[in-house]
Amino acid sequence: MTSTSTEQHSGPAASLVVDHLSHSYGDIVALRQVSAIAQPGKITALLGPNAAGKSTLLRCIIGAIKPTSGRVLLDGKPTHGRSPYHLAQRMAYVPQRSTVAAAFTVREVVELGRYVLPRNHHRIELALQRMELTDLVDRPYAALSVGQQQRVTLARALAQLPNSIEDSAKAGHLILDEPVSAMDLKHVRDVVVLLRELTGQGVTIIMAMHDLTRAADMADDVWLMDEGTLIAGTACDVLTVERLQQVYGVPFEWLHGRLLTVND
Amino acid sequence: MSRRMTGLGFLTAMLAGLAVLRLLIDRDPVHGLSLAWPDASYAAFRWTAILVSIIIGCSLATSGVLLQALLRNPLASPFILGLSSGAGLGVMTAMYIGFATGNDALRSGANAGPALIGALLVLTVVYGLGRRRGLLDPLSLVLVGVVVSAICGALMMFLQRLSPEGLRSDILIWMMGRIPQSIATSHLILVGALAFLGVLIAMAMGRAMDAATLGEDEARSIGLSLGPVRLSMFVLAGALAAASVTVAGPIAFVGLIAPHAARLLIGPRHTLLVPAAALAGASLIVAADAASQALEFGAGRMPVGIFTALIGGPAFIWILKNRQTAGV
Repeated sequence: MTSTSTEQHSGPAASLVVDHLSHSYGDIVALRQVSAIAQPGKITALLGPNAAGKSTLLRCIIGAIKPTSGRVLLDGKPTHGRSPYHLAQRMAYVPQRSTVAAAFTVREVVELGRYVLPRNHHRIELALQRMELTDLVDRPYAALSVGQQQRVTLARALAQLPNSIEDSAKAGHLILDEPVSAMDLKHVRDVVVLLRELTGQGVTIIMAMHDLTRAADMADDVWLMDEGTLIAGTACDVLTVERLQQVYGVPFEWLHGRLLTVND
Repeated sequence: MSRRMTGLGFLTAMLAGLAVLRLLIDRDPVHGLSLAWPDASYAAFRWTAILVSIIIGCSLATSGVLLQALLRNPLASPFILGLSSGAGLGVMTAMYIGFATGNDALRSGANAGPALIGALLVLTVVYGLGRRRGLLDPLSLVLVGVVVSAICGALMMFLQRLSPEGLRSDILIWMMGRIPQSIATSHLILVGALAFLGVLIAMAMGRAMDAATLGEDEARSIGLSLGPVRLSMFVLAGALAAASVTVAGPIAFVGLIAPHAARLLIGPRHTLLVPAAALAGASLIVAADAASQALEFGAGRMPVGIFTALIGGPAFIWILKNRQTAGV
């Protein structure tokens, strides 16, 4: 599946399209003419070394920064310039580490996910249960470990996502920036299962991550970034040892189904 | 929920108790300190002082809650943006001009105009310089506020050196803040209405302030329009603090400590935090004014700001310790 053509796949229409996106911070070019389509109802893993442009791309996607040129289209309309009120009903965002400048409890943080949405006690409880936070609901968010905080942030995003079981045309988008970087293995596995379930409900997921093997395992598509450029495709097509060596600057090999760096 | 309502009830009762105390405290040169229902002639002064204290306390506390949310910083207070030094410089300038031109009305520093002009000028400058990519930016606001404060302070010192001794102590007393026992009715209605509306508007913005405690990208991603919300917080906080400065000068500590005391009682959610902080702020000023009424050191009435700092400072440290042991 190539990344720049909408006509080729026959599933639901793509609702999230990155279109010739470029962005610079002063003299530093972060994105160079990036184009890609997030497959609806699929997981796209966003990979690449530090400073490859992953976070800038995600921030353009959620409409937080205005790209120097090009655009990100959500339901056919550019995300930048759209009101947060409308974007929040289509898209939830999970940063690597969420900072909360108040002594909110876990429940209060998760409830923020419904900020522009109707109060829904059931959705909050469901999200808390799903992330195994029911024992922590009254604990202050700031007192949790980073891994636990990441679960709270994910729960907040879950509470925010449109209920796509009831209305599949309104399936949401989940934009994740290394959401499991500090989680223990059990919870990482739980999150992977959860994301799979969400795609079953039509949710489109883009997830920045560093673990290449896990990306190859769980993602339907891979976006590999290098110095502001992006290569999109299936894990098999994109994650070749030659290309990875070129991008990361270290030799790779596949060993027992895992991508490993070669120590000589 | 019930804990929050209990907290609000407690604060209301405390304010009522302190107001009655302030009404009854009587000190005269013959009988010394006593508690007595005031004569009609005194009662009006005391009621005015109580009313002004409540208005100023609500204004400063609400302003503090708004600024702590805007700057995402628990150490923010209404005067962190340089507003008190701006108002002080306005008053100092007017006093100096009054002294130089022999205009006693200006010389007295009683006029509210110069303080208001100084405060608004500073707010405009801080607003103009405190933005990044068109959006009010917490770090820029604090840094610009500190620098503007320093510049206004230097200019005040400059004028002080040019002034006679009497003028110097007058401006010092003004800078400590004091609660007037009489005030023009129109002035009282204006700041009273602003305080009342300010508390209501800030309560209505409670959920937005909750959302604004998140980082910029996240706050936007849950649906908060950061630009308009930050601007509203800035304008409302500035207006409330500026209005209170025109009545009482820059009274220290209230805007910093009242929100924290309220948080300890009713938690961090802003919709109820605002009225709780307003009640706490009003209580603190009424208490400080009562102390200033009761205590005599043979040097005339002490500025109320001395007592808000003396009561508020230790209380703040106690709250800080309690927050830490509670793990909050």
